[in-house]
Amino acid sequence: MSKNGQEHLVLTGVVVSFNGFQAVDGLTLKVSKGELRCIIGPNGAGKTTALDTICGKTGLTAGSITFMGKRIDNLEEHQIARAGIGRKFQVPSVFRDLTVHENLEVARSKRSGVLANAFCFERDSEREELEKLAEFIGLQECLEIPAGHLSHGQTQWLEMALLVAQDPELILMDEPTAGMTVQETHKTAELFIRLKEKHTLIVVEHDMGFVKEIGDVISVMHQGKLLAEGTVEQIAEHPEVRSVYLGTGGIGSA
Amino acid sequence: MKRGTAIQLGTYGIVCLAFLLVPSFVDDAFILNKYARYLVLGILAVALSLSWGYTGILNLGQAMSFGLGSYCMAMVLKLRTVPVHTGKAGLPDFMVWNNVDTLPWFWEPFHSMAFGLFAGIAVPVALAALLGWFVFRGRVTGVYVAIITLATLVVVNLMIIDQQRFTGGFNGITDLAQLEIFGLTFDAYGSSSYYLIAAALTFCLFFALAVTKSKAGLVLQAIRDNENRVRYFGYDVAFFKIFAFSVSAGIAGIAGMLYTIVMEFASPTFLGVQLSLSVVIWCAVGGRQSLLGAALGAIIVTGMQGALSESETFLKTWTLIMGFIFVVVVLFLPKGLAGVVEGLSNRVFGHGDSSKPEPNIVPDSLGAKSEAESLR
Amino acid sequence: METFLAQIITGLSIGSILLLVALGLAIIYGTTGVINLAHGEFVMLGAYSAWALQTFLGLGLIESLVLIFLITAAFGWVIEKVVIRHLYRRPLDTILATWGIGVMAQQAIRLSAGGELRYVEMPSALGSSVSVLGVETSAFRIFILLFTAALFGVTWYLMYRTSVGMKLRAITQDREVASCFGINSQRTYSLTFAYGTGLAGLAGALVSPLKSVSPEMGTTYVVDAFMVVVLGGVDSLVGTVVSAAILGELTGFLAFLSNDTIAKALVLLTIVILIRFRPQGLFAARTRT
Repeated sequence: MSKNGQEHLVLTGVVVSFNGFQAVDGLTLKVSKGELRCIIGPNGAGKTTALDTICGKTGLTAGSITFMGKRIDNLEEHQIARAGIGRKFQVPSVFRDLTVHENLEVARSKRSGVLANAFCFERDSEREELEKLAEFIGLQECLEIPAGHLSHGQTQWLEMALLVAQDPELILMDEPTAGMTVQETHKTAELFIRLKEKHTLIVVEHDMGFVKEIGDVISVMHQGKLLAEGTVEQIAEHPEVRSVYLGTGGIGSA
Repeated sequence: MKRGTAIQLGTYGIVCLAFLLVPSFVDDAFILNKYARYLVLGILAVALSLSWGYTGILNLGQAMSFGLGSYCMAMVLKLRTVPVHTGKAGLPDFMVWNNVDTLPWFWEPFHSMAFGLFAGIAVPVALAALLGWFVFRGRVTGVYVAIITLATLVVVNLMIIDQQRFTGGFNGITDLAQLEIFGLTFDAYGSSSYYLIAAALTFCLFFALAVTKSKAGLVLQAIRDNENRVRYFGYDVAFFKIFAFSVSAGIAGIAGMLYTIVMEFASPTFLGVQLSLSVVIWCAVGGRQSLLGAALGAIIVTGMQGALSESETFLKTWTLIMGFIFVVVVLFLPKGLAGVVEGLSNRVFGHGDSSKPEPNIVPDSLGAKSEAESLR
Repeated sequence: METFLAQIITGLSIGSILLLVALGLAIIYGTTGVINLAHGEFVMLGAYSAWALQTFLGLGLIESLVLIFLITAAFGWVIEKVVIRHLYRRPLDTILATWGIGVMAQQAIRLSAGGELRYVEMPSALGSSVSVLGVETSAFRIFILLFTAALFGVTWYLMYRTSVGMKLRAITQDREVASCFGINSQRTYSLTFAYGTGLAGLAGALVSPLKSVSPEMGTTYVVDAFMVVVLGGVDSLVGTVVSAAILGELTGFLAFLSNDTIAKALVLLTIVILIRFRPQGLFAARTRT
């Protein structure tokens, strides 16, 4: 793990409770710049809730979160996004009535004020940039089609392209490969490795094959707490992790 | 520029030009006044289309901005009335009847025409910004916004009726002078007023079009579609909504001022629930997601109302017919007349303009489900 | 002390009328999500039914209540079949469609029964006044209060103690899942809508002796009823009762202090502020989302 001061995102003793149920229970997590961190764990371990706290969707009951040295747990969602954190949700959420191209334009949000955007129209250079991005995710033919008309796989790709267009410092991904074919998963892994050059990524994932392909450091969550942390091999050998996954045939075959 | 945008600009231009040419063919002052009234209501519909059609804020209190603009104009014109209609020291007649002996402080600045014209836009905008801040900062959405705007409208309406001494109460403000600016006189029955209103409609249409075509307009549509997702891109959703809400109020204020000019009075019915709901109807009939559609919807519906209520055969049944047409439009043409025209033009021009393909049926049923759930 | 008590009783009387009018709306909105702007017109239809039955058949108000319920419920059932059922997936559009229906209903009544004001006679047995805790009160208003309480009891029983009510609540939770378990949501929704409009009809019949009957009378009721439902929390029947009582007392109290217009404006302002801070209503349970 990195030394103090280099840490990009730090969660300290984060607690989230819903009506007395502790979804996250004293989670402490450190992620350094340029890292691709995978979070795994059984259902109900609090992985998605952990991401929700980082991007401001869910408020903390206790604990703190700092990003690039600044407290962010008291900010509103859009302020956190402006600080440089982007999020992909588990359920595809694109703007169904807008075209693919318009979706990408909304996502490109370096300038986010109302008045700054009030009479601002798209320039040709900006359009070319988005067209390249669309080509990369294989949607170049669909630029003028409403996003609601895309297939499930295409929607997933569009979501990831939205994050690339947003270009945040830190990207949070919730189950990016859910419902994808083997080839698509493989292509996603490629995309992630590319993204890693410029961004820090935190990925919540079930697919261990995918995690093996992309992950440096893996954090395992269980019952709202951090259970173990380490490389793929270390995690696979970890006795407690094995016992949590026991009955599903061990972590390797999940 | 995209081909779709060019076609759109052309259509808007042709329609506005057609409106501006009407006085060359019509010289009956009475009919011209009637047409001018319809165009003003068209401006009001453009305002609602901006907030409802583009941002998803169903403002059932749109008539509040309209009425406030109308009262501002009426106050200016009342103070310019020749003394025969007003009390001593230029005090408006209804104040004299209500035993008010000095002009209230908030009437004073309306001696200035410039202030009056400014207030006609600024008062609705300021009130909308305040209400918007109160509502959207608290993340109130959907039906609740509709109810809050409706309730606010009723409150303002009740206050105006109650404060008869200062507002004329039920009767409103009547017996007004004619508007005179830059040496031009705008007679309600003259072509000058008509030109003023047609020009204002043109301006408002193109202004609103520019807003919707800008990046901010795109974000507004994204908010209508999926408000929460927009937040995670770093946009302050509440601010964008307040912006749309206020711009819409300003346009409605302009419409209200013009309405006073053509009607020659201001009345509490201008901020009535009836009118406010009618605007929603016009937008729905014309096509809420098209600014021009909304304007034409208002003009067609009010024009039809006017024509039917004047004819012998339909004198008694026209509301019945209007209600029926309206229910049919909601059931079968959710995108209004603009949707029909769009569908036809896509069929005629083939896939040349693919920016807006045929009215989408699939996303409607799927997308609306989340709407249904968010209302619960 | 006596004026204070009289004030409380006036407030309760206003509240009971509010609840009577809002109950049908609460059931329709709370379960199907349909925002029925024509609700006021069903109230109006109920009032006209009472007038017609009295004028042409010589039936007294109390005797005609069951008939009135059936008449308005039948109207509601037809409208649900023809229009509403196409709009369950577009709840905001129900505002528009039902408004159109309301306009048509008003004009239809104007054409058939005439636009002038009509009067319904109060049942002679209830024309006098009774003394409640030393305060002289109209017997008819007390009757409305008791009748409303009884109607609420019946409605609550239907919703929470019968299989139709259970099916309805299941559909409200998740329509698709309920359908998977073999619940016929179409039929349940039709019945609910008919029941809600029937209640509106009863409300109209009962208020008709207190106020004059006109084609436009529904407009004021629908706004008031909405405020009650939203304030009470959309899916809380008990909340509807409490909010009707609060609004009734508030209206009565403020009208006593100032005039009716100011009282109405202040009540609306209070509602605006309450919705802003508790859009889920005063009495809705908090759930994890």
